[in-house]
Amino acid sequence: MNNITELPAYVFKKFPYLEELRLAGNDLTFIHPDALSGLHQLKVLMLQNNQLKSVPNAALKNLHSLQSLRLDANHITTVPDDSFEGLQQLRHLWLDDNHLTEVPVSSLRHQSNLQALTLALNRILYIPDNAFRNLTSLVVLHLHNNRIKEIGPNCFVGLVNLETLDLNFNNLKEFPKAIEALPKLKELGFHSNDIAAIPERAFHNNPMLRTIHFYDNPLSFVGASAFQNLSDLRSLMLRGASLMKDFPILTWTNNLDSLTLSGTKISSIPADLCEDLKFLQTLDLSYNEVKQLPSFQGCSQLQEISFQHNHIQQIDRDTFQDLSALRLLDLSRNEIRVIHKDAFLSLTGLTNLDLSMNSLSVIPTTGLSAVIQLKLSGNPQMKNVLPAKNLPKLRSISVPYAYQCCAFIGCDSVTRSAEQTDVKKSTGVEDGEQVSMIMHCSPSPGAFKPCEHLLGNWM
Amino acid sequence: EGPPSCPKGCDRCSEYNGCIKCNPKLFIFLERNDIRQIGVCLPSCPVGYFGMRNPEGNNRCTQCKIDNCEACFSRNFCTKCKEGLYSHSGRCYVSCPPGKHTANNTMDCD
Repeated sequence: MNNITELPAYVFKKFPYLEELRLAGNDLTFIHPDALSGLHQLKVLMLQNNQLKSVPNAALKNLHSLQSLRLDANHITTVPDDSFEGLQQLRHLWLDDNHLTEVPVSSLRHQSNLQALTLALNRILYIPDNAFRNLTSLVVLHLHNNRIKEIGPNCFVGLVNLETLDLNFNNLKEFPKAIEALPKLKELGFHSNDIAAIPERAFHNNPMLRTIHFYDNPLSFVGASAFQNLSDLRSLMLRGASLMKDFPILTWTNNLDSLTLSGTKISSIPADLCEDLKFLQTLDLSYNEVKQLPSFQGCSQLQEISFQHNHIQQIDRDTFQDLSALRLLDLSRNEIRVIHKDAFLSLTGLTNLDLSMNSLSVIPTTGLSAVIQLKLSGNPQMKNVLPAKNLPKLRSISVPYAYQCCAFIGCDSVTRSAEQTDVKKSTGVEDGEQVSMIMHCSPSPGAFKPCEHLLGNWM
Repeated sequence: EGPPSCPKGCDRCSEYNGCIKCNPKLFIFLERNDIRQIGVCLPSCPVGYFGMRNPEGNNRCTQCKIDNCEACFSRNFCTKCKEGLYSHSGRCYVSCPPGKHTANNTMDCD
């Protein structure tokens, strides 16, 4: 980083074989039209972090071998139409972090070899139709952190090889339907905009999509058919689409490993969900209005399930059948009254089970031999004492009543603490080796909550 | 310019970790020094890294995530492959992908 402010004519004429010129981090405000004369072999020109107000079009004219041109972090407001005319080999162009208020459409119209373009961090308001029409080789287009309110329905026409499109952090009000022109799109971002709805068949012409980022939008509606036929999609995360009623159709979107759909009005889950989602590992359907669960038997790779805060009333025998990989199951804040005695039979890998804030009076413990953390608080009808022997690995439990802790922590040696009790509990094991085990249990018995079960409930 | 004790281009620094916040438009790069990381401010990132800009100004040098790549435009688009490798659509290959050929003795497959 020096403080060069101007490049005079022919300053590099003694370096005809120069391939890379780094002038980043100076104070360049002017580049003489003949400053770069003779650099016929130049491939990389770095002019970022200078004080240029316009693209030095005249100086760039004869750089026929130039492949990478960095003009980012200047103060460019204008891009003359002929700026890149002589640059037939140009592949990578950085114009981000400048003061552009529109897409430099004219100056880009001959750049059929361009593969990567960033116009991010500018002040662009609108993308007109055919803005990138001739950029048939473009693979990456960054437009994030602009002020884009609207885009033309045909603004991406011509980008037949585009794989990555970044529209994050703009002011889009409508879903960018123009992506229909992008058959090879793999990564799409439009998070942090003002989009309220994702329409039906939104991605019908983008079958190669792997990643879609659209969080931080005031989404209220999502078309049920928006996400079908996306066989390369690995993760779908949708939060807070408060008007969404129908579970999305996911036919042929069959390689998802993570699905999050929360904060909607979805009230039912398709019974055949696991026919499509065989590779699902994480399923988060919390904060919806689901009343009944189908069987998830086909989703054999599920590791985490969250149905927190729904209206589920019962768990059947086959609901979680054969889910031996399941480690975390959150069914808290529902209305569960009944759990089939064999419901947890095959959950040999389950370590965390949350059944708090339901209407349970009893829970089956068969199959919970690996559970380390169990939450049962907020089930006022559950008054029985739980069989500790069925929960050998337990380390932390919350129960509706303090006396229920006595089954786990042997109340004669209790050292009181305000909320929960840490007790070193020695367990005798077959081979005689003594294992000390920390057991958390809440609410812990205390002076006003003795261990004896008085009259069936606590005054 | 930042405080005199800070390295060039740095707005805020600490004795042990070098620069913590760079001047606007520069990238912070965490140079490894034994077990320590020393922040330095650069107008362009070193080989194997690309510059991620953001409006808050804490621009960072971030590692390219493409095999056999020396310089990249973004996490998954390479602009310069290692010696002897061919480039196509931002990725590096031992030989051009099927149906693609090198163009006018460059290492690009078109």
